Amino acid sequence: MKAAVPATLPSRRSLFRVAGLAGAAALIPLSGCAGHAGQQNGVTTLRFMQNKPEVVNYFDQVIKDFEALNPDIRVIQDFNEGNFVPGLVRNDPPDVVTRGFAKATADFVKKGIFADLSDLPAASTIDPEMQELISSWGQYNGNEVSALPFSLAAAGVIYNRDIFDANGVAVPTTWDEFVAACETFKAAGITPIYGTFKDSWTLAQGMFDYVSGGSLDTAEFFTRINGKGADISAGAAESFTTNFGPALRQMLQLVSYSQNGASSKNYADGNAAFAKGQAAMYLQGPWALSQLVSANKDIRVGTFPLPVTNNPEETKARVNVDMALSITRNTPNMAAARRFVAYLLEPSVVNTYNEKNAAFSPLKDAPPVTNPQISGLDESVRKARYYQGAGTYFPPSVPLHNYIQSFVYSKNGDQFLAALDDEWRRVAERTAV
Amino acid sequence: MTASQLPQRSARVLTKRVSGREGFKINWWLTALMLVASLTVLLPLYFTVAMALKTPDQIGTGTGLAWPNPLNWENFAAAYVATNFPRAFMSTAFVTVFSVLGSLACSSLVAYAIARNWNHRFFRGAFVYLLSAMFIPFPVIILPLIKQTALLGLDNPAGVVFLHVLGGISFNALLYIAFVRSIPVELEESARMDGATTWQVFRKIIFPLLAPMNATVGIFAFLGSWNDFLLPQMMIADPALQTLPVVQMLFQGEFNTNYSLAFASYLMAMAPTLVVYILAQRWVLSGVMRGAVK
Repeated sequence: MKAAVPATLPSRRSLFRVAGLAGAAALIPLSGCAGHAGQQNGVTTLRFMQNKPEVVNYFDQVIKDFEALNPDIRVIQDFNEGNFVPGLVRNDPPDVVTRGFAKATADFVKKGIFADLSDLPAASTIDPEMQELISSWGQYNGNEVSALPFSLAAAGVIYNRDIFDANGVAVPTTWDEFVAACETFKAAGITPIYGTFKDSWTLAQGMFDYVSGGSLDTAEFFTRINGKGADISAGAAESFTTNFGPALRQMLQLVSYSQNGASSKNYADGNAAFAKGQAAMYLQGPWALSQLVSANKDIRVGTFPLPVTNNPEETKARVNVDMALSITRNTPNMAAARRFVAYLLEPSVVNTYNEKNAAFSPLKDAPPVTNPQISGLDESVRKARYYQGAGTYFPPSVPLHNYIQSFVYSKNGDQFLAALDDEWRRVAERTAV
Repeated sequence: MTASQLPQRSARVLTKRVSGREGFKINWWLTALMLVASLTVLLPLYFTVAMALKTPDQIGTGTGLAWPNPLNWENFAAAYVATNFPRAFMSTAFVTVFSVLGSLACSSLVAYAIARNWNHRFFRGAFVYLLSAMFIPFPVIILPLIKQTALLGLDNPAGVVFLHVLGGISFNALLYIAFVRSIPVELEESARMDGATTWQVFRKIIFPLLAPMNATVGIFAFLGSWNDFLLPQMMIADPALQTLPVVQMLFQGEFNTNYSLAFASYLMAMAPTLVVYILAQRWVLSGVMRGAVK
């Protein structure tokens, strides 16, 4: 072994001196730009925390345009969502926030953290069905609008158009057609569905949400089971055991059309394999599209909502409010924050964002989606044939994803549903008032 | 250990299977084991470098072991711009430099005071009190800490430095105390005879003798604060002052990771750690009581 360190190293003392100088040099610019957001020389500074690091550049441009039109407002973008709760603790939360809207954000709404936006003129431009996706989680004071949808992600079955065309398979509109398509691919030696069971969340948002959402009214189901509270038992009419049985049989059918060894593949494996054309279909949401294209820029994909019944009219898409806009209730810059939110909801901003990011605009008069990757879901979204995934209704203390994964491996549906009923009852007992 | 020590040492360990040149005996089994063990460091490093030089479509192909061709150096430039690297780097450097200096100064002072006053009940109690802090998991106290630091106007990198120094005292003092005890009191007594004050004794005698432990504590403090994610993420209110590990989250969406940019950025962030490791390992491994009693 040769001496890795040259003999003429700087002495410890001189190194400390250098370090000290570097530290002092670091201090100077830091103290220069420190200081809290707020009003200064007639310019209001807004802090805008958004939940998607991958679209920082888009919002940088939006903010630039907004500042040009509103010279009295400066907007600072922050994508560090982990700082939201600390911001509340400090009593200094960001002024404008976007969050994915589901149970966790609904809990903030119930605590009255966000301001009422119902009198914002832009609120009336939003599709009431999409607003309902947010208000169905509960409204502060029973009628406040705490969040306005900004972007709706719709998920279904991503399919490889080239493989469908080569095998003469049309987009299925009924469950029977779907099964027939899977059989056709299987007979041709093509994996019908690429499974990524190692990442249990892909099972939850994929087959579990799709099949349950397509076969029963999830929102209504969870309203009923929540109403039942801690009295829930496997035999009750509101239980998982009573309602989810048929869905599980269809889930197992989907499992049987997945490739061998799906249990050792994760989400990244799935994206890479599907991009290379190793399967005809992929149960993933629009977030996977950019990954597929970045792995293979020539791939031609489309998305269709998974038909779970034999009535095409009943086919629904899984949606989630990917970004919902809110203003924190105690912001000292309410007027400026409302102007910024109004600007974000201008058609040119919100529609462009959703067009660029394979998502659906929440505006009533949004243009039809032309992106061939997701245009197959346009009809479902326009006709409000959608649901929020059953998985998103579970409290985080129930390890639902792991239960689904072990069900997919063991195929023991009764045990799975009984476990969910038990878990649900225990959470209800703990949280009962 | 230095280069001249190594062969003698392995020769001593060696019993059988002797080969090699005269005077040099190589334990081939141990060497092979070391080579395999070094793979645990080299292989991830290789992946990091290779990943940083790939284009997105190169990432999806092959086993990942293949060296990218052509090399895509633009990742570094793109990551540099996207993270606003100089600003985040300065913020991280600020936190790190002052955390290291603060940890060295505070912990050694605490340790000296406790170790030399061990016969006082108060100091023994202080020792137990400091040690007990190690039993409190950090996430439990983070929200109260955030509230407190915000009230004190420390929701910025300076607050992170403060908490790093404070949080390190219990562990670092534990290291230092054991070390201070091994330093003969006679050294101090002779200094006292010459009229040195307590501060002078510490500054001129004890602190220089603590050098090996200073290196150890310094390295722990450096790595801890350079790589820290949770504390800056939750404490620093102004996004413009955010540190590198937090800013690098930019490349990881909920479902999307921009691997090539992320790894290019990780490599740039790792560079100072590597440099410090290469410079500092000499002090850590050098003779423990070097120059203690002459």
